[in-house]
Amino acid sequence: MSEATTAALSAFEQALDRRLLAALEACARCGICTESCHYYQSTPEPAHVPAARAEKVRAVYRRSHDPIGRRFPWLVGARDLTDESLDDLVQTAFASCTLCRRCTINCPFGVDTALIMRAARGMLTAAGKAPEMLVMLADAAIARGEHAGEFREIYREIVAGLELDAQARVGDPSLRIPLDRKGADILYVGLSGAHTILPAAIIFHEAGANWTLSMFEASNYGLFLGDPAKAKAIAKRIVDEAIELGVKDVVLTECGHAYAALRWEAPGWFGGEFPFRVRNIEEVLAEYIQDGRLVLDPSANPGPVTYHDSCNLGRNGGLLEAPRVVLRAAVAEFRELDPHGKDSLCCGGGGGLVAIPEWEEIRLRAGRKKAEQVRRAGVPVVATSCENCNLQLTDLNAHYALGVKVVGLMELVVNALLRAKERQASPAGKAA
Amino acid sequence: MGGAEAWAVLGAAAVAAAGLWRHLSIVLSRPFRPERARPAGSPAAGVRYAFTLGMMPWAKESTRLHLLAYLRGIVFHAGIGAGLVGLVLALWTPDLPAVPRRLLAGILAAGAAAGWGGLAARVVEPGLRTLSTPDDYVAVALVSAFLTAGALASWDARWTGIYLLAGAATLVAIPFTKIRHCFYYFFSRYFFGLFYGRRGVLGGARHE
Repeated sequence: MSEATTAALSAFEQALDRRLLAALEACARCGICTESCHYYQSTPEPAHVPAARAEKVRAVYRRSHDPIGRRFPWLVGARDLTDESLDDLVQTAFASCTLCRRCTINCPFGVDTALIMRAARGMLTAAGKAPEMLVMLADAAIARGEHAGEFREIYREIVAGLELDAQARVGDPSLRIPLDRKGADILYVGLSGAHTILPAAIIFHEAGANWTLSMFEASNYGLFLGDPAKAKAIAKRIVDEAIELGVKDVVLTECGHAYAALRWEAPGWFGGEFPFRVRNIEEVLAEYIQDGRLVLDPSANPGPVTYHDSCNLGRNGGLLEAPRVVLRAAVAEFRELDPHGKDSLCCGGGGGLVAIPEWEEIRLRAGRKKAEQVRRAGVPVVATSCENCNLQLTDLNAHYALGVKVVGLMELVVNALLRAKERQASPAGKAA
Repeated sequence: MGGAEAWAVLGAAAVAAAGLWRHLSIVLSRPFRPERARPAGSPAAGVRYAFTLGMMPWAKESTRLHLLAYLRGIVFHAGIGAGLVGLVLALWTPDLPAVPRRLLAGILAAGAAAGWGGLAARVVEPGLRTLSTPDDYVAVALVSAFLTAGALASWDARWTGIYLLAGAATLVAIPFTKIRHCFYYFFSRYFFGLFYGRRGVLGGARHE
């Protein structure tokens, strides 16, 4: 047995808890999950059946844990783990599954194939076979946490520049983008790039929120790697920052897996609930709208708008109503995709695929059904509240010539917010 | 019913019970890692949903799409339940009144037909064939034979010996073959309900 296979099997043993065991054992290979997978829908090949994907891990499990698999492997489809099968598993676990759990919700047994694929990813990461790009991004995030002091001043300068941009957009020099504000109610965690910070700054300013911007980015590539130690190290930066600043809420930007990681998974890595709430910006927007803290003019977003549910936020995160509250207030006409909500089709960009350039062709092919669904909806604007979905939908738009505009929820809200402000500032608005 | 066949069934039941006990101990020996995040919904409501409404054929896109296969599975499993009940009855009260005997025969026959139909589908459909291991064919054939023998025994007592032997073979196979998914089903479905209930996706309104 090679070092790689030994490391992979050791990682598998670590991951093998009751949930994973049940997922490995319960499948009856009935094939009912087949069409639930967007890979299969886009390319109907046996390898894209979720149960077939999971069988690659089950084969290894049976060889090492099933007495029949040990003695008569041919009878139960048990196989030794080899370097070759590890290479094959890379394609299966990283390139052919976005961990969207659409198969799980469609399985009569509730088999959690995403959990099995995440265990496979952990095995591959331990074996040194995970995609380099994901490993690099995870390591870079950890390094940024370890050397936060070194880039703090540079970041402060960047944020000062963003603050000027936000002030110019709103026409209000009192707008601030605070950093390291102790006693703030909200710690907002964006992503690399101004597009996740500027609209949030405008929204928080207009809502009169007591907030501060995080020094770190929300994304957590450790989750994609199936590596709880790395995922915890990445999350720890934000957890420590939130505790130090004494915030009540950590609000994550439009990013599905960041929400999955910090809202749902991280308390398990840290051994208990956090002394603060973890929320997604969708929830905060819906709350501000319902409480009347944000006044929106939906005419700023004319034309029908549809919404793509991120799998991590919707089906697996429970944020099904909040984005719809936001859209009903922020756009002139909202139309649902079919299917949507917990049954939404994955766009094909999740699970870290969007970050891996060499798998671009695979993910564009996997997104074909989503592209067809958007085309069928016949709308000019597709909104989403996940960065990876946004990138994938933008690529699908170009690849399949959909002729739509892909936007984030925050962008729509800012448009409607500023239009409402303009109206109020106009002579007619003042008179009213 | 006395004789060697009855003792074979009792011995097989003991093997099945011991095997499932072993599987239970395997499950319990593994760590339980509950989600520690603040719930957004009710885990209990999620579990209730998973075992009730969530099992309805209209609850999932997949079962609406594969309605025939799903119903075939339901009938097959109802047949297995009846087959096990019939096995107990054959051991202790072999002379059932005509109505329950014929009812049992009907359920067993339907279950057997569903089982053989499922096996045929596994052979004929390329997608299912690719997914299947020899264990899948052996297990489904064995259980279907058990139900067939049960249906025949309900009509003609001369088949009872075969029914008991087929039942004994099926019981022994439970812990060692794919048939044990009937045991793990409860764990898988429980975790499913727990996961989606807690996250406020299934089983009730999100409260956060």
